[in-house]
Amino acid sequence: MSMSESTAQTQPSRIDRARLRYRTFRRQWYSTAVLLAGVFGILLVLPLTLNLYAFGLSLGTWVSVHMLILTLVWATTGQAWNMMSGYTGQFSFGHAAFFGLGAYGTIILLNTAGLNPWLGMLVGATIASLYGLLIGVLCFRYDLRGHYFALATLAFAELLRHTFNTVSQLGGASGFFRPLPQEYADGFGLIAFQFENALPYYYVILAFLIVVSAISLVIKQSRLGLYLFAIRENENAASAVGIPTYRYKLVGITVSAFFTAWAGAFWAMYFNTIRPETVYDILVNVEVLLPAIVGGIGTVLGPIVGAFLVIPLAEIARQSVDIAGFDHVIYGVLLIVIVLYSPKGVVSWPARLFELLEDRGLYESTIDDENMDNDE
Amino acid sequence: MDPSTALQYVAFAILLGGIYGLVALGLTMIFGVMDVINFAHGALMVVGMYIVWWGTNELGLSLFLTIPIAVIALFVLGVGIHLSTIAPIIDSSQENQLIVTFGVLLIIVSAIEIVFSADPQRLEFGLGSVQFAGVYLPLGQLYALIIAVLAVIIAWAFLQYTQLGRAIRGTADNRDAAQYVGINVPRIDYLTFGFGAALAGLAGAVIPLFQSIDPHLGDAYLINAFVIVVLGGLGSFPGALIGGMIIGFVHVFGQVFLPGSGYQIAIFLIFILVLLLKPSGLLGGDVHE
Repeated sequence: MSMSESTAQTQPSRIDRARLRYRTFRRQWYSTAVLLAGVFGILLVLPLTLNLYAFGLSLGTWVSVHMLILTLVWATTGQAWNMMSGYTGQFSFGHAAFFGLGAYGTIILLNTAGLNPWLGMLVGATIASLYGLLIGVLCFRYDLRGHYFALATLAFAELLRHTFNTVSQLGGASGFFRPLPQEYADGFGLIAFQFENALPYYYVILAFLIVVSAISLVIKQSRLGLYLFAIRENENAASAVGIPTYRYKLVGITVSAFFTAWAGAFWAMYFNTIRPETVYDILVNVEVLLPAIVGGIGTVLGPIVGAFLVIPLAEIARQSVDIAGFDHVIYGVLLIVIVLYSPKGVVSWPARLFELLEDRGLYESTIDDENMDNDE
Repeated sequence: MDPSTALQYVAFAILLGGIYGLVALGLTMIFGVMDVINFAHGALMVVGMYIVWWGTNELGLSLFLTIPIAVIALFVLGVGIHLSTIAPIIDSSQENQLIVTFGVLLIIVSAIEIVFSADPQRLEFGLGSVQFAGVYLPLGQLYALIIAVLAVIIAWAFLQYTQLGRAIRGTADNRDAAQYVGINVPRIDYLTFGFGAALAGLAGAVIPLFQSIDPHLGDAYLINAFVIVVLGGLGSFPGALIGGMIIGFVHVFGQVFLPGSGYQIAIFLIFILVLLLKPSGLLGGDVHE
């Protein structure tokens, strides 16, 4: 014990040298971009490794491409939600509104006007942005914060659910069927936004996630990002030093709504039908924000890491236990456990692991822990 | 609409308003005292519904037994939920508390769905109906109405006239000052959560008397209870009861006169208008601290 302590004090151990190197790396402006690139590199080849066998086991036993697609959908929405609620601290509990508008916008324009789903997606996303702007103008103008804002966003989402449920021109309770690709394009393919198997869908949603993550990162590292975080940390102080908080909160909700709608549009083209009970459901509000909460609010890597923890866990649990509703129990337990025990999310776990080991006396750190709390 | 039908609707609106009032009263108590928005409140109602349905239908117990059992069980469950999930983060951000209570909602509703399936259930025996001043009233509705109105009066009297009720109102009014004058605030917290849960349980317990139940029935009541709580003023006890009646009437008469779930759209529009124009609600104080 005393031996290791004295050597540790004179010379950093191998682990500590690595930790120091990592800390230095994380202080570089490009470090998150490099980590993101690494994550996306893995995600690019991940579906191709599902059928590889190692030691008689294969990832494909538990994980399907469909599961990966769902994971990336919620990672994308988590990333989009994070751009508003994570960055500015305005907690939205109604992102199902934007998700649903993206889905319905795409399908309705395709069904009624024969508009190509890619264009429909952009129109749907613009409508979602405008709806977000409306919510923002109304709520922020009247300075709704905290509980009141969360409840107001939930009300705006539920309002859409009941409206689409009631108005038959908007599909009513039975919603819409996705048309066959031959009806509006030359069959399956990228232009039709419909594919014969799951793998191309995976790469489309991965592309969405890459775009949204890149924009999220650029915003975070720009002056705009500083303003948004200033609003989160102390809105009154931010306003006092001259940041037009009202305007920047509107920017946050508009951008966030736009990209949440992308995931909704993808949902509409991936599944056969959309109904108010699937895309506007109260649970969608939670599924949108769950990856960001679990992964780490306000971080760019958090929503991706969180999604890969939450969705496969819930899906595998549901498949292996074969009880409907069991995945919701997993969601519930994760929400409670993360908030109670690790409010900074999964991305804070490596640093916390070292802290824990030190507390138990299993590991002696030679580096001071100040500034060790990288937020991702 | 002939007078007897109209009277029938009014009776049903008062019944629904009383149930909404009970749910909202529990919700607004918890909010007023702890500043926590309890998303699990609707799920607690559902637990009450299933205790009464299961105890009465499967065990053959009397309603006079199962309804009090539901109330007591929900009080205990509420205290347990508070001590295990809310108390540790009582000083944390509002969002964290909201997320945790939503986690509790998911667990409770899914557990009920797993145990009892998602199929709608109803009490097997009919309670019959009475003819009263030309109005035909199902007895189940009548009993539920009487219980709801009685419970509202008792809850109000409890808050108004007992020592504990005064302590709860005091804590809701000013948490710090309550602490200074010697009120044990953590104790008030768990008792309030227990009472709030018990009120939700009672509201849920009378629902099987007049309609079929399913694990997700609580969601609709929960969302409307939010509307009522904001309408009446977050933390205002009389506001919750008045707001409950208003939404009860909008619900019943909206269902009659508006297509589809138009009544629900009307309720949300009222909600959004109140949030924007008078977020402190009809009887609430100042919103901004």
